[in-house]
Amino acid sequence: MINNKVLAIIKREIKERLMSKKFIYTTLAFPLIMFVILGVQAALFGLDKNETKNILVISNSGELLSKLEKGLPNNRKLRSNKYNFSFKLVDSAKVKEFVSERKNLLHKNKLTGIVFVPASALKNKQVQYFSKSAKNLKIQEQLSRALNMVLVDVYFSDKHIAPEDVKFARERVSFKTFKVSESKGIAEEGYGNLALAYVFTFLLYISLLMIGQLTMQSVMEEKTSRIVEVILSSVNSRELMAGKIIGSAIIGLAQMAIWISPIILLVSTTWFTLPKEITLSITLGQIGYFLLNYFVGLVLFLGLFAALGAVYDNVQDAQQGIWPIMMLIIIPFFIALMMMQNPNNAIADVSSIVPFASVIVMPVKMTLVDVQTWKIATALILNVLTIFLVFPFAGKIYRVGILRTGKKPKLTEVIKWVKYKY
Amino acid sequence: MNALEVSNLSKTFGSVKAVDEANFEVPEGSIFGLIGRNGAGKTTTLRLILSIYLPDSGKILFRGKEIDNTFRDSVGYLPEERGLYKKMTVMDTLLFFAEVKGKSGKAVQSRALDYLRKFNLYDRRNSKIEDLSKGNQQKIQFIATILHDPDFIILDEPFSGLDPINIDLLRQIILEKKEEGKVIIFSTHLMDYAEKMVDHLAMIDHGKIILKGSLAEIKSKYSQRNVSITFDGDISFLRNQPFVEKITDFGNTTGIRVKERRDTQKLLKLLVENNVTVTQFNANEISLQEIFVELAEDDKTEEAA
Repeated sequence: MINNKVLAIIKREIKERLMSKKFIYTTLAFPLIMFVILGVQAALFGLDKNETKNILVISNSGELLSKLEKGLPNNRKLRSNKYNFSFKLVDSAKVKEFVSERKNLLHKNKLTGIVFVPASALKNKQVQYFSKSAKNLKIQEQLSRALNMVLVDVYFSDKHIAPEDVKFARERVSFKTFKVSESKGIAEEGYGNLALAYVFTFLLYISLLMIGQLTMQSVMEEKTSRIVEVILSSVNSRELMAGKIIGSAIIGLAQMAIWISPIILLVSTTWFTLPKEITLSITLGQIGYFLLNYFVGLVLFLGLFAALGAVYDNVQDAQQGIWPIMMLIIIPFFIALMMMQNPNNAIADVSSIVPFASVIVMPVKMTLVDVQTWKIATALILNVLTIFLVFPFAGKIYRVGILRTGKKPKLTEVIKWVKYKY
Repeated sequence: MNALEVSNLSKTFGSVKAVDEANFEVPEGSIFGLIGRNGAGKTTTLRLILSIYLPDSGKILFRGKEIDNTFRDSVGYLPEERGLYKKMTVMDTLLFFAEVKGKSGKAVQSRALDYLRKFNLYDRRNSKIEDLSKGNQQKIQFIATILHDPDFIILDEPFSGLDPINIDLLRQIILEKKEEGKVIIFSTHLMDYAEKMVDHLAMIDHGKIILKGSLAEIKSKYSQRNVSITFDGDISFLRNQPFVEKITDFGNTTGIRVKERRDTQKLLKLLVENNVTVTQFNANEISLQEIFVELAEDDKTEEAA
């Protein structure tokens, strides 16, 4: 199948695309865009943190109020989140009235909220919160912890219990996670692999779509510029299609290798050390599989994209034909994202083996949990088999479509092409 | 000897018979014209010869052997609608087209440079195709067609869309290649070009070959009762002559078909007697255009019947 002519086409494809500014820009720009997105997210998060929150704390018990006055402003967490407190003693019957008097302040954001901590809170921990946006979960959570701290202190102060005991009672249970894997025994696990799973998911998703569309456009260019007729007088359509797809897949592989090269360096050298919480537990073998799987996946998807490019004359017309292929990429993408919560759920389990879906799901799953070797091999083999199954049809559509011009063909016509003797 | 023999070739697209039981032969060392109007089946026939399409039935023999992949390497093809990769450089383009024909290396490179020098494009060898004028792009396409030194050159409507300088250039290339003993097939709907260049031809209409043979034979066969004249005066009296079968006005010349061969003398005599100033009188002369119109008309009456 691969002869010198196919090699010539592969070479041309790689030379033209690898040297193009588009390739250089997208290869460089993509990691930058990812950093920018992460940066913007962090900035937005910080913005929220830096907003001053004015909270008025009221109580019908002077004793409780004075404890709150001491406890709340000294809470470290609240201080770093810019909380400003003021305190006032209010009769419980007059709370509603008191709040209505300050309606204006609340609405003009001079006051973020009013917390009413009645004396009864020492029995049932019930407090009332009045605010323009009373359901602000973040403020609720932060205040609740701080209030709890004060209430617990007050509650136990006359119960003759040692402060260490109170401290112990207050402590939450902390999880330290260990991953039990077959090969490496028990190792402490950080967040590194979760982050890596995210990176892999996005890289696979975006590059499949990008390389796919570029290949489709390149087929369209050959079709509309009629270069294809000269080429078909030298090679047959199968050779042309094979050359095109292999060439594009090699370009995609090169791009992916560049993108994940920092990860390869991290794993294979000791040049960089990451903090313990984010160490990556991934082997070079896994990275090798990731690239191999990506290459096979690219070939599989590019067969579809190339056939699609041959059917239509321009990108606008192709939009209606592209969505079934997009679905084959987008659905696994969401399954992979969902898998971050629980990598062992049934859908993730099945889709990590199903052809097309496994291209994205399997490598992501492998970074999250141990997957049996037979499953990994099956996923890859099924994708290769699917290539052999799908390509005769894709090739037929490509062959008929590439020489057709004029009217946009209907789906029923395209199906008929498969039966044509060309 | 025939370089190419096409027998009973058929190709159907849906309900359209694009090529219908076509038979013709292309002799060694000839310029062969495939002639017909637009949509007659010329391009499909050429694509079948090139294996771009597979025939429904029929055979194509190249020097006695059925065509296969190696045949492709010995063909240079210039399609009607021409195109090049816009972003590639001139040199890369030429070398790529030679490489898919199985030719690469130093020899092809120096041949490419020779051609570029010959066509005054040497200093554009590293330019991108999109930066060349349309005329120069056409020249690059010619070079790409013949760079791998094909034995067989197939040109589909080669003169359409070319500027006058390139028409002349292409004619030179064709004649040069013929001198070298190569076989050239071209299709055209322009009878004038065909008449000036081809040795052998086949006329195709509605997918059927309606006429084939050498130009000289065909002309002598069809011209026996035909006279082509250029004149001053009124010839309307001829319409009443029983020996005149048909008068066709072609503008500059008028074609007259008589009933029998010897009637041509009678015709000349009559013209002189009626004071018509005859500036040219060509017995045994008929243009391909006339033959084609006549045959295509027959075809139409057949259809009506």
